[in-house]
Amino acid sequence: MKNFFCLFIFMLGLCCFSITARAQSQSISGKVTDVTDNSPLPGVNIVAKGTTTGTVTDVEGNYSLSVPANIETLVFSSVGYTSEEVNIGNRTEINVELTPDVQSLQEVVVTSFGIEQEKQALGYAVQELQAQEITQTKQPNLVNALQGRVAGVQITNSGGAPGMSSRIVIRGITSLDPMADNQPLFVVDGVPIDNSTIEATTGNTPRGLSNRAADINPNDIESVNVLKGAAATALYGVRAANGAIIITTKKGKAGEVKVNYSGTIGFDEINRYPDFQEQYGQGFSGEYDPVSFWPSWGAPVPAVQVIEPAHQYYDNTRNVMQTGSQLDNTVSVSGGNEAATFYTSFSNLQQKGVIPFSNWERTSAKLSGTANVGDKFNLSGSINYINSGGNRVPHDRIMETLMYWAFTQDATDYINPDGTQKTYGNDNPLYNARFRTYEDNVNRAIGNITLNYAPADWISFLYRVGTDFYSDQRTEILPGPMGIEGEFPLSSTGFIEEVRINSRDINSTLNVTLNHSFSEKLEATLRLGNDIFDRSRNTLASTGNEFIIPEFYNLNNTRNLATGQIITQRRLVGVYGDLQLNYDNFLYLGITGRNDWTSTLTKNNRSFFYPAVNLGFVFNDVLDIPEVLSYGKLRASYAEVGKDAEPYSTAITYGAPIDVNEVSYFPLNGQVGFTRSNSLGLPTLKPERTTSLEFGTDLRFLENRLSLDLTWYQSNSKDQIIPVPVSEATGYTTFITNAGEIENKGIELILGVTPVETEDFSWDVSLNFTRNRNRVVEIREGIETIVLGEQFGYAGSTVTMQLIEGDAYGNLYGTSYERFYENGAPEDLKYLDEGQPLLIGDNGFPIINSAQLIIGNAQPDWIGGIRNSFDYKGFNFSFLIDARAGIDQYDQYGNFYSAFGMLDYSLNRNDVVIFDGYKADGSTNAQQVWLGQGVGPDGVDYGAGFYRNYYRGASENFVKDASFVKLRNVTLGYNFANSILDNTPFSAASVSLTANNILLWTPWNGYDPESFSAGAGSNATAFTGLGYPGVRSFLFSLNLTF
Amino acid sequence: MQKSKYIYCLFFLLLSWLASGCEDYLDINTDPNNPTVAPISGLLANTSFQTGFNMYEIGDVTSYYVQYLASPNPGSATDTQEPVSYDDAWKNVYNILTDLSDLEVKAQEEGATDYLGVAKILKAVHVGLMVDVWGNIPYSEAFFAQTLNPAYDNAQQLYDTLQLLLDNGIAELQKGTSTATIEGDDFIYEGNIETWMKAAHALKARYLLHMSETDQYDPQAILAEVDQGFASTADDMQVPYFEERINPWAQAALNNASLILDGWISQQLVQSMDGTTYGYVDPRMPYMFGTTEEGEFVGTENGAGRGDAPEQGARSTLVTDSYYAARTAPILVITYFEQKFIEAEAALAAGDANRAYAAYQEGIRAHMGKIGVDTAAIDAYLANPAVSVGAAGLSLDLILKEKYIAMFLSPEAWIDARRYDYQYEGMSIPANLNPDLNGQFIRRLIYPTSETTRNSANVPAVTLSDRLWWDQ
Repeated sequence: MKNFFCLFIFMLGLCCFSITARAQSQSISGKVTDVTDNSPLPGVNIVAKGTTTGTVTDVEGNYSLSVPANIETLVFSSVGYTSEEVNIGNRTEINVELTPDVQSLQEVVVTSFGIEQEKQALGYAVQELQAQEITQTKQPNLVNALQGRVAGVQITNSGGAPGMSSRIVIRGITSLDPMADNQPLFVVDGVPIDNSTIEATTGNTPRGLSNRAADINPNDIESVNVLKGAAATALYGVRAANGAIIITTKKGKAGEVKVNYSGTIGFDEINRYPDFQEQYGQGFSGEYDPVSFWPSWGAPVPAVQVIEPAHQYYDNTRNVMQTGSQLDNTVSVSGGNEAATFYTSFSNLQQKGVIPFSNWERTSAKLSGTANVGDKFNLSGSINYINSGGNRVPHDRIMETLMYWAFTQDATDYINPDGTQKTYGNDNPLYNARFRTYEDNVNRAIGNITLNYAPADWISFLYRVGTDFYSDQRTEILPGPMGIEGEFPLSSTGFIEEVRINSRDINSTLNVTLNHSFSEKLEATLRLGNDIFDRSRNTLASTGNEFIIPEFYNLNNTRNLATGQIITQRRLVGVYGDLQLNYDNFLYLGITGRNDWTSTLTKNNRSFFYPAVNLGFVFNDVLDIPEVLSYGKLRASYAEVGKDAEPYSTAITYGAPIDVNEVSYFPLNGQVGFTRSNSLGLPTLKPERTTSLEFGTDLRFLENRLSLDLTWYQSNSKDQIIPVPVSEATGYTTFITNAGEIENKGIELILGVTPVETEDFSWDVSLNFTRNRNRVVEIREGIETIVLGEQFGYAGSTVTMQLIEGDAYGNLYGTSYERFYENGAPEDLKYLDEGQPLLIGDNGFPIINSAQLIIGNAQPDWIGGIRNSFDYKGFNFSFLIDARAGIDQYDQYGNFYSAFGMLDYSLNRNDVVIFDGYKADGSTNAQQVWLGQGVGPDGVDYGAGFYRNYYRGASENFVKDASFVKLRNVTLGYNFANSILDNTPFSAASVSLTANNILLWTPWNGYDPESFSAGAGSNATAFTGLGYPGVRSFLFSLNLTF
Repeated sequence: MQKSKYIYCLFFLLLSWLASGCEDYLDINTDPNNPTVAPISGLLANTSFQTGFNMYEIGDVTSYYVQYLASPNPGSATDTQEPVSYDDAWKNVYNILTDLSDLEVKAQEEGATDYLGVAKILKAVHVGLMVDVWGNIPYSEAFFAQTLNPAYDNAQQLYDTLQLLLDNGIAELQKGTSTATIEGDDFIYEGNIETWMKAAHALKARYLLHMSETDQYDPQAILAEVDQGFASTADDMQVPYFEERINPWAQAALNNASLILDGWISQQLVQSMDGTTYGYVDPRMPYMFGTTEEGEFVGTENGAGRGDAPEQGARSTLVTDSYYAARTAPILVITYFEQKFIEAEAALAAGDANRAYAAYQEGIRAHMGKIGVDTAAIDAYLANPAVSVGAAGLSLDLILKEKYIAMFLSPEAWIDARRYDYQYEGMSIPANLNPDLNGQFIRRLIYPTSETTRNSANVPAVTLSDRLWWDQ
């Protein structure tokens, strides 16, 4: 608090100083129009050159301002137009025509609190995407639309289901806490929104729910800015500690009312399958058995056909899937006059997944408007209502049952006329898909009201209040028996779970902006503000077990009922000051200070201050630089940002005891039990702190034909709030304390080239590359690892994801084959040395080493993307390739497939082989062994065979390189020429063909490796689970403007 | 100076707002889901009920060492007596000990002497569970996070603590001045204080018997406790299960039925009951475990796995239509029949063979009755000359042979086995035994990884061959 006061007083001093130096003035007015069609241009900035004195045009393009008498030139600038400098002379009326300029579109960016800033003035890296780039991909989930396009940003699809969440991490993971949210803050028109992914209750099968930003209709977006470093986000404080995604939505413009329709129809299919063997069918030990549990350890299909002609191979994996579809329609109407503008849109998206019965629908209605009240007061607001949700099929169960289902039984023939499951004994995947339902229904309203008041040209006030409210209603049903003789029910009891989540965010922002020119060359802008955040969430879940009347799905119709409730509330208050200094348009300095008060820490520790400073130096005008460099800038920044704790981390409480499946077992027999919380929360907890340093340069050559943006950054997060595991004898399992440090450093590169640019044809290339090095610097004395998560593998091959000091976040531990070391195995072996030869056992097989070794890491070495765009007259063709490299994942599919002999490599099941390696005595292995099941040709009993006895039990066989190169997006578009449109009611029209995720190159054997089972909110990203397979999409779109 | 007034005004507004409003506004961090104080009845409900699960969880380890159970997979680590870290068991027992410690503090504050007495008795059960498998454990610096690295208390001194806990528990119960009455929140005796006192005496007898190989062995003291202990099977200390929350052994049986293999019966146990080892059939087999598809009792060899046998139908396993693994079967903590076997052993050591023989017979009868064997079959079994050896013929071997069958799945069986140096007829080291044991049986557990990683400075260095203090 003391620091904060000092800053205040410092800033006060500056302001007072600024007020004394003012002089006589002159009044000027006029109108600004577009040179191409003479339409009035609202919102044009007019500044007296060399000062920050200025104004903006109204909706009619009119302006008036008074400038000091010594000012000779006015500068007119507007987004999308070339700036004009006009000599005032003796005139009092100056009318100006501005020329559109596509290049300049990149130059003004929206940063914190919707503040528009010249990119030139920023001392830190910001990357912006325009509306067209977002909608071009036709991705229904806005997060996916950013994929491969932004340096420093890693986006991972959790799978191919409609509406399924997508994870976004900027510049690496900054928290050691396995439960921490490492994703950036999402801000729409200055108001933060909720982007959490609330997965199905622990203990239930994964359902692939949505990240809440997927509720935003991408067609409503004007631009997206990615604020990467702490410097960029210092103004948002705690909540933007992981960066921020700043979204600006479309606004109405004064003039004629415009009606826009855009429609997309598309199809999805699975983009990649594992390579299955088609030779062996149902049974075990090579013997045919039509009721066997074993899907493909049986006899060769042709051999069985001799006795049973109907016996055949079914490509069940492809047969049960369908072609997915999407249909997206958006109508928007916008317009306005000098006093007010409006934008309204209505959209509906319907998606059907490749797994039958999975679907998602989003309906969105948005209204936004602005109104000028007099010339000093401006009011704007928007309200967006969204209804979204669908049926989230149990993809994990479906894919698992699909695996157990014999290749020689038709999986699509799954239901009897009476509605019971049709099966030879195993659960059918389609029957699961159809009847194990999980429907979510989200009703959400995001709204804001903004008041702008500019009593004088040097001061303006802004107040904005926003809310994000949603109710998420979920129903999960697992049917019990239907009471029909001989049925194979999915469950012996069945259950219904009803979940109600009510979440409400309120954000309030107040700020004051003061401008002043100290001299012709030194301008200053000081912004002071306050913001308040309040989130409250109330979740109620009720489960009823065992239906009394079959197929009547209501809580009232169940034998046992259990209900639980979780309430969380969190508040934050922040006060900040931001001083921007501009010296002669080439040297920029920004100083920010912010103090936050959080409700999640105790009174003594809840207040924390953090500073940031950034410097931008545009050197091409100042230094004598060869012509070839048209623009050059260096930037540097240092910033700190604090992070508070999760609510209720500072006390010891008593709660409902839970069992190993995390299910509460009270009330029981009329009693309610209590147990002391496992976590020890102490009031002494203090905020954690991230410091970051960033240097960068922005260089443009040959009149912007070639541009290079290079950034180096390092961030260290200290005093991490982690639930540190402690001896359970203390009465707790974890102690929530400040301990540990994690470091991220890396480089980001953005390269833009325009190899060809003529009147009719242009070719643009943009490339981004990111290399982030993550390191767990310190955990806490006495604690060796932090476990992030684990995923099951057969025969002890379960893989865990853990953090250890000195390594990158997310080491993967598991079993491996023993290795041969000439001089004996090294002591304390931590990492598997794959290069070392195998140690072969006395029986001629490799030996499973059940000691947990590090067999991979889930952080990529680098990620990148390259986009080529070609424009010829009305045609546009572009394609985007993105890649990630050096990333390991655990392939649970692979583990299961090996246990059941389903992939093509298992065709060697009846071979006699000699494993490469050495016996313990150092001799080269020469022992022949049979890979099959039962008694081999040599008379030896091989039991369950190599794949079940050995291969599936070594995690190293399934922790694999999940690198890929993807042809992420290809778009061919055509804008109809005005000559064609003249005879139509349309003022603009375009059509496009888009294809997403079309080609995939990867060493991974299986479905698209871009998949993980825990949902976007989880940090355990290395586990594919039996995830929803990834898809490729083909889409056709039409865009019409009336 | 018009403008400066503006600014000053603004800042004063902002600051005064901050000073007044914001402190209260942020005071919302009191957890609305979980209270900071728990009612004593809620603590008793959980601790008394979870006593059953903790008995199960330790029993699920020790039952492989005493060869009640055997893993269907070859070389399974518990079966072959490898060093295994039983983190969950350690955690769950400490969790209940923690709640019992809170219950003690709160009951003391409220003058609820009945709750205080029961808490002390239950604490003795859980400390006993741990100290007999792990030896030294944190106790005097435990439960209230006095330190994050609690020191380990000496196991032998903890045996004094056990007796003290039970004596103090009885003393509290005898006061009869409790400000709160225990009812259904006590899952074990539903507030029957008299029976709680009997149970405390039975437990005292149990822990005194553990010292049979030490110079502190005092058979007369044991008999004195037995006299104040259980009067019949109706007094058994056991935890009930319900359809909403079924017995964990039943869950193992159900899992096994759905091919998550668990609860396979050891060949050694089957052979000691089917006549192979002793030459006569024990009628209790069908009440204890299931048969193959052919209706036979076939065990699995410890450490060897099931060999060629399929996952289902070829071996005896726990099944829900038996006594121990029925869905709503109770989990036995300490019983009348165990007390009878304690009495038999102590009386034999005290030279009172008649009392020993009577207790031995009553122990068998009570166990058989408990698990549902009909009277005719009980009588027939007791009439078998190999069983009815007479007072003169009674040996410690025979008492422990019968106690071994009766203590099926109980952690107590491993204490007997170690006191008896695993000298049961027909019991041999498992296949693929952990080579570090040099052909000998396991004597204790290693400390769990959670302790070696989080409390490494205090954890004693031990091996599986190290004997606990009473195992001499």
